[in-house]
Amino acid sequence: MDTIRRALLGQIAKLTAGAALVPLSSVASAGMNDQPPRREGDPEKRYGMLIDLRACIGCQACTVSCHIENEAPLGSFRTIVSQYEVAHEDTGDVATFMLPRLCNHCDNPPCVPVCPVQATFQREDGIVVVNNEACVGCAYCVQACPYDARFINEQTQTADKCTFCAHRLDVGLLPACVESCVGGARIIGDLRDPNSQISRMIDEHRQELMVLKPEMGTAPHVFYLGMDERFVSRPDARPAIWDVRDQKGEEVGYEFGSH
Amino acid sequence: MSSEVIEILTPRYGIAWYPWAVQYFFMIAISYSALLLTVPGLLMGKRQYQALARVALLVTVSCTLVGPVALLADLHQPLRFWHFYANLTPWSWMWLGSLLLPLYLILVVAYAWLAWRPAMQLQAQGDGWIARLSGWISLGAWQAPRWMLVMCGLGALLMSFGIMLYTGAEVAIVKARPLWNTYWLPVMFVLTGIVAAAGLVMVINRLMTGNDEEVNAQSLKVVFSTMVLAALVAALWVAEGLTGFSASVEQAFASLQGNPEWRAVAIYGLLVGVVLTLTVVLMLRQHRYLRHAWIAGLLAVHIGWTFRWMVLMEVQTVAKNTAGYYQYVLEMGSSGLLGILGTFGLWLAALLIIDILVPWKRDFQAGTH
Repeated sequence: MDTIRRALLGQIAKLTAGAALVPLSSVASAGMNDQPPRREGDPEKRYGMLIDLRACIGCQACTVSCHIENEAPLGSFRTIVSQYEVAHEDTGDVATFMLPRLCNHCDNPPCVPVCPVQATFQREDGIVVVNNEACVGCAYCVQACPYDARFINEQTQTADKCTFCAHRLDVGLLPACVESCVGGARIIGDLRDPNSQISRMIDEHRQELMVLKPEMGTAPHVFYLGMDERFVSRPDARPAIWDVRDQKGEEVGYEFGSH
Repeated sequence: MSSEVIEILTPRYGIAWYPWAVQYFFMIAISYSALLLTVPGLLMGKRQYQALARVALLVTVSCTLVGPVALLADLHQPLRFWHFYANLTPWSWMWLGSLLLPLYLILVVAYAWLAWRPAMQLQAQGDGWIARLSGWISLGAWQAPRWMLVMCGLGALLMSFGIMLYTGAEVAIVKARPLWNTYWLPVMFVLTGIVAAAGLVMVINRLMTGNDEEVNAQSLKVVFSTMVLAALVAALWVAEGLTGFSASVEQAFASLQGNPEWRAVAIYGLLVGVVLTLTVVLMLRQHRYLRHAWIAGLLAVHIGWTFRWMVLMEVQTVAKNTAGYYQYVLEMGSSGLLGILGTFGLWLAALLIIDILVPWKRDFQAGTH
């Protein structure tokens, strides 16, 4: 193993985002479950997003604007800000941790090669999209995504997901979530352009950036700045939101099932 | 730093594969396993296994016909199934399955048609609509040479290996679900499939034929040896997780850590497995119990179905990304209970239609020499 590759593995182990920046597009081949060739989109570009968690206030403006822009059915989200309450066990101090989630537009997207009809594919600019006129709704991609970024749209009965608002990017607009972010926490841009804001920020903060679930080998292209390691993978947290309690505060079960 | 974390806001993620998937995996596993049980008696023509092969052939044909219907129903856009054939996607396991499945179905039906044809031709000589229909189905009075049956049988067998491989690999490659992501899953699908198929053979043997004790003894032996292998595989899987030999199995264990429901599932699985194995041993040693083999059969079918339910449905309730587990409640409608009952109803209908039309209990002409 040469030193460059060894260094790369070291970076993965450190949960940094560096390894994700090595393009995998060149290794596409026709083996079982390998990435098929990319198609459509601008081959000169590679879109990515950097989320500066220090600037996120958890207002869900991104969630709402995405919902309006992309008309996802109620209860399904292309992006959402997960919120956690973190209490220091000794001092009792409480802090809130906000984690915006969306499709990571991975360089090795596990959702793409599983698709049996090539309805979901990765564009040359790295954006993972679904052609919902080709999609058969087998939901295999929903299973394959480690980030729960996909869902079956109950109106179209096909797979649905964040597209980085490709329809807006293609005409020179910003994605709805970026446009509406009050703290300017979401930065989208072309990683192939060394002068783009995102490229400059990645250069500046390379050692601090983290991606979600690096152990999955997906090479995510949404980078988090100000990330807490405990939230990189499935957090060791108590789920509280769905507890249903009676008037005396006794837990009577979970809320579920609005189908 | 010691801290307590509470997840206070997260969306609810739904179930993406419905119980239809369980029904398909169950039916198709019984189909390919029962096909294996026809091999000694029908394909190789061994006399002492012909009674077993007769029941197993009925089981394999009925399940092969119904399984794909359940699979189609699991698509959210079932009418777009032709997209599979309009887009060649050889790197996708599911696409490979869409290629294998129709070929498998055609070969199984051809194999059964050739096996049942001599008896159908005999039936065609009688009077009434069944005789007329039998004449049409047998496509004339010509004698099919045995090599045709052997070729179709071998072809179906070959395709069945493909079905075993693809149904297992399709699920096992999903890294996002560590509980699926193990080489042992495809093996376990096949083993529990064989257990369920041998179990169903014993049940059908009790209900539709004279509860032939030889068939029961042979099926019990199949269940016993397969259960021993399944126990070995389960032990290896657990060992891989405990030792950390496999990172994904270790992750799978971590994802269930401290969950009392999953602990109960593990204990129940172990218990039912032990009970079935001991029952089978008892029945094989005390021949007077052989006629009650259908009880072990029901238990074996239960294991085959419940394993798929746990693997395909309950694993979907383990959150990938967020804290805790999702609550899955079986719907009453077609994506829930109605789908399950409907599949079994369709299977029963297929079974009865074959029973009315085909004199499947008669000796196969093939293999008598």
